[in-house]
Amino acid sequence: MSVYTVHKLLHRAQVDLEFREALRADPGGAIADWPFTDEERTALLSGDVAALARGGAHTFLLSRIPRFGLFGLDRDDYIRRMQALRNDAEPALDLRDRL
Amino acid sequence: MATIVGAFGVPHMPTSPGDCAANADSLTARAFAAVRAHVDEIDPDVLLVFDTDHFHHWFYDRLPAFAVGVALSTDGPGTDDWPGEARFEVIPVHEDLASHVYASGLSAAFDLTLSQEFQVDHSITVPVHFLDATDGVVQRPIVPVWINGIAPPFPLASRCRDLGGMVAAAVAGYPSNARVGIVASGAISGDIGGAHARPGSPMAPPDQAWLGDVEGWLREEQLDALVAAATPGRLRAAGNVSGECLNWIALLGAVGGRPPTFLQMDTYGGNAFAAWDLR
Repeated sequence: MSVYTVHKLLHRAQVDLEFREALRADPGGAIADWPFTDEERTALLSGDVAALARGGAHTFLLSRIPRFGLFGLDRDDYIRRMQALRNDAEPALDLRDRL
Repeated sequence: MATIVGAFGVPHMPTSPGDCAANADSLTARAFAAVRAHVDEIDPDVLLVFDTDHFHHWFYDRLPAFAVGVALSTDGPGTDDWPGEARFEVIPVHEDLASHVYASGLSAAFDLTLSQEFQVDHSITVPVHFLDATDGVVQRPIVPVWINGIAPPFPLASRCRDLGGMVAAAVAGYPSNARVGIVASGAISGDIGGAHARPGSPMAPPDQAWLGDVEGWLREEQLDALVAAATPGRLRAAGNVSGECLNWIALLGAVGGRPPTFLQMDTYGGNAFAAWDLR
């Protein structure tokens, strides 16, 4: 998983308001040119934040998805989906001692 | 020569300006006001802020362990927009002191990163709002000193303590009568956007064991015990923004591990509010 590209998307959504709006209006179109794997693109467009976290995405950065209303997720959806990680044997990657 | 006259530690929840305006009796509002009273009483000329930028100015494309902002002014929080936030078009930066700290760091074997153009996020605007601004105008120039406490792996706690010591030596060698206040911005324990968020909030309950331990070390001036315990693994286990505790460790390194004049813990939010009168 090219976790850097996922992080870069969530950074861009914070610092570029035009891009943030485009991402809200047409998520598929806004990320069409981004070099995600099929798996990442599917996870993003379906709001599968638990899959993104399992792939190594920083949960602080992922929390920008509901904050900015991206990929159809509001805060309650986001929290519910992230709760799936509670049953994982390994902690989220952003809580491990490596990049 | 310049002197450190006070130090102040506060969290920086981005919704606090709005929340505290709506409810001035909340624990958070009263604790910010108590630290503000110490700032007003001590009245430093400049505030040097140990800070964690949250992937706003600094990101994985260039991610320093330690950096200093050297400019005439900055602004914030820009596109780090939250409901009820405090916005500042101009936050003056003490360019000369910032430049001196940067150069002193390099001379003392701290290979600091330099930034001469930057926008600060809520981790600076919230402390500035509560501790300094009057009628929406920033009163004192700041010196931002960033520590990476958000993107593991973090710099070592011992190195953050020594960074604080380096800053204290730099201030002591600064040829001016400036009265300097040190600020630590950030949580003691916090986790945002993770699997254990509370219903209706992106924040998980704080790590009470860590919070209690840090409170004891703060009250008893046990900086070495705090540094020994604040391993990378322990900080991460306390939550994904608990690396902000490194800003507090840098502050303690700068003030020489002295006990706080004021300390209020917030066990619900995972925060500490503190002031050191060093006059």
